[in-house]
Amino acid sequence: MRADAGSAPSEPLFELPPELAIDTGVAQRVTVGFIRNQLRQAGFSHALLGLSGGIDSALVAFLAAEAVGPENLLCVLMPYRTSSPESVEHALLVVNRLGCAHDTVDISAMVDGYFGRDGQIGAGGLGAMDANPLRRGNFMARARMCSLYDRSVTWGGLVVGTSNKTESLIGYSTLFGDSACAFNPIGDLYKSQVRQVAAAVGVPEEIIRKAPSADLWPGQTDEQEAGFSYPELDRLLFWMIDKRRTDEELAAMGFATTAVDRVKRLVAVSEFKRQVPPVAKLGPRTTGVDYLYPRRRPGSSR
Amino acid sequence: MQPVRIALAQLAPRLGVLADNLAAHHAAVAAAREGGAGLIVFPELSLTGYQLQDLAAEVAMAADDARLLDLARESAGMSAVVSFVEEAADHRLFISAALLEDGAVKFVHRKLFLPTYGLFDERRFFAAGDRLRTVDSNLGVRLGIAVCEDFWHLAVPETLALDGAQVLINVSSSPGRDLAAIHEVGLGTAASWRNLMRTYAQLTTSFVVFCNRVGMDETVSFWGGSEVIGPSGEAIFTAPLFDEGLHFVDIELGDVRRERIGLPLLRDERPELHLRELRRILAERTDLGIDDASDGPDEGERP
Repeated sequence: MRADAGSAPSEPLFELPPELAIDTGVAQRVTVGFIRNQLRQAGFSHALLGLSGGIDSALVAFLAAEAVGPENLLCVLMPYRTSSPESVEHALLVVNRLGCAHDTVDISAMVDGYFGRDGQIGAGGLGAMDANPLRRGNFMARARMCSLYDRSVTWGGLVVGTSNKTESLIGYSTLFGDSACAFNPIGDLYKSQVRQVAAAVGVPEEIIRKAPSADLWPGQTDEQEAGFSYPELDRLLFWMIDKRRTDEELAAMGFATTAVDRVKRLVAVSEFKRQVPPVAKLGPRTTGVDYLYPRRRPGSSR
Repeated sequence: MQPVRIALAQLAPRLGVLADNLAAHHAAVAAAREGGAGLIVFPELSLTGYQLQDLAAEVAMAADDARLLDLARESAGMSAVVSFVEEAADHRLFISAALLEDGAVKFVHRKLFLPTYGLFDERRFFAAGDRLRTVDSNLGVRLGIAVCEDFWHLAVPETLALDGAQVLINVSSSPGRDLAAIHEVGLGTAASWRNLMRTYAQLTTSFVVFCNRVGMDETVSFWGGSEVIGPSGEAIFTAPLFDEGLHFVDIELGDVRRERIGLPLLRDERPELHLRELRRILAERTDLGIDDASDGPDEGERP
């Protein structure tokens, strides 16, 4: 199945596996209601999010603007000096389209202050000078989280999450970094489903079309790094997890055994990233175990 | 048979905020009376919200609680079905639905089937009811009242109809999920429920009144889509998805007679056959004799 932008008969916007097709009206209705409800229950009227220029945060910006009104939404752009200029351009495209507030925090000084730069040792010491891209990427994601949570105080709003289901399941995220948020409206939508909703709500086409990238180093793309295309990965995760197909059934459906094994391993080793850190059971009543209250209840809003 | 106007209160209860929910009930009852309704139906746990967890004990009330009686007085002249956490005298907590009539709590149904799978965890917090009875109402017909998951078990609507109910009422807090374009209205849950309601109405040749809540508790969205299905299995009314509202639906109770004369499925039911085979199945499952596996000495052949 191919998804087209409006009536344009040209190149399809993205490849859509048929089993991942959703009713975008229902998805929009539920996610917008969710944002509104989460804020209201917590006693907030304002929201903010980190806007990267990619499709996930662009979609959440559109949904949040609909939920609270653009005047109550702050989009924070947090480029590093090596970030692609296109990322900032695309983020500004979203800001201009929505007419919401935005703010730019250049995280270069924070990151370079830790890892060092131009032969100058940073706060991380000598051993941080030659840190690999993984360490740097994780640090950048956490520097963005720190900035965003600081801005949440001045803006008086809650941080809206922008991680999708695909990256969450395979663990393609930084713990306490890009995955940190007060709540996440799109965390149960696969990338292929994010694309459908993004197209439906009017996220600019160039953002939907471009190759997804964490933009943690120049030229990086998710698909090249993961070794899968999103349509393939989404299909496999959908049948494996949502539809509980066994390895044998997946093989019979045409999924390569090596791909199945690899994805299962990615999902299993990232289980820790999706759960609240465990607490050793000692007392008679322990949070999350036998002290079980809704997050939001009478008296819980600020 | 008189025509009856039903008011479906497709509300979004606030989780654990009894006072607000009570106020919303009083307002809906007043509006229903104004609109000429004979019956008003509220969704499952309409007074408390659904995802209560340990809050359940804090919002529980006895079936003769003054707040329920207030609501009963407010709705006098109508029949009202409201739902709440019931605390029994022995302190078991039930998900209950009460029929209020003549200023009193006339009947209480305790939810029989507590889903404890998938996103549900009801059995952890609640006790399951163990009586399935119908109740004569001021509407001139007997009602069968069930709560949400009760209708995912065939025996419930069947038993209610065999026991004389002509209007089957299901009050629900059904969380919307299984988002996919292939489903009617985009939600797997809504598609399944619609199939069930039409099937039950047709097979029991009864009216089915389904009141499902809207709004969100925590992470789940309740999808609404409350319905009234006629005894031929056709939808008379379908409320919008996700929107709060009080909807009036007129039904003609005489439709039940017409349908049952023309399509005498209930007449042709074979409960004695069903019971005999159920006894055999139970005996085989438990590896006991039929007499030992059955409930009690009701065959008249024991000393």
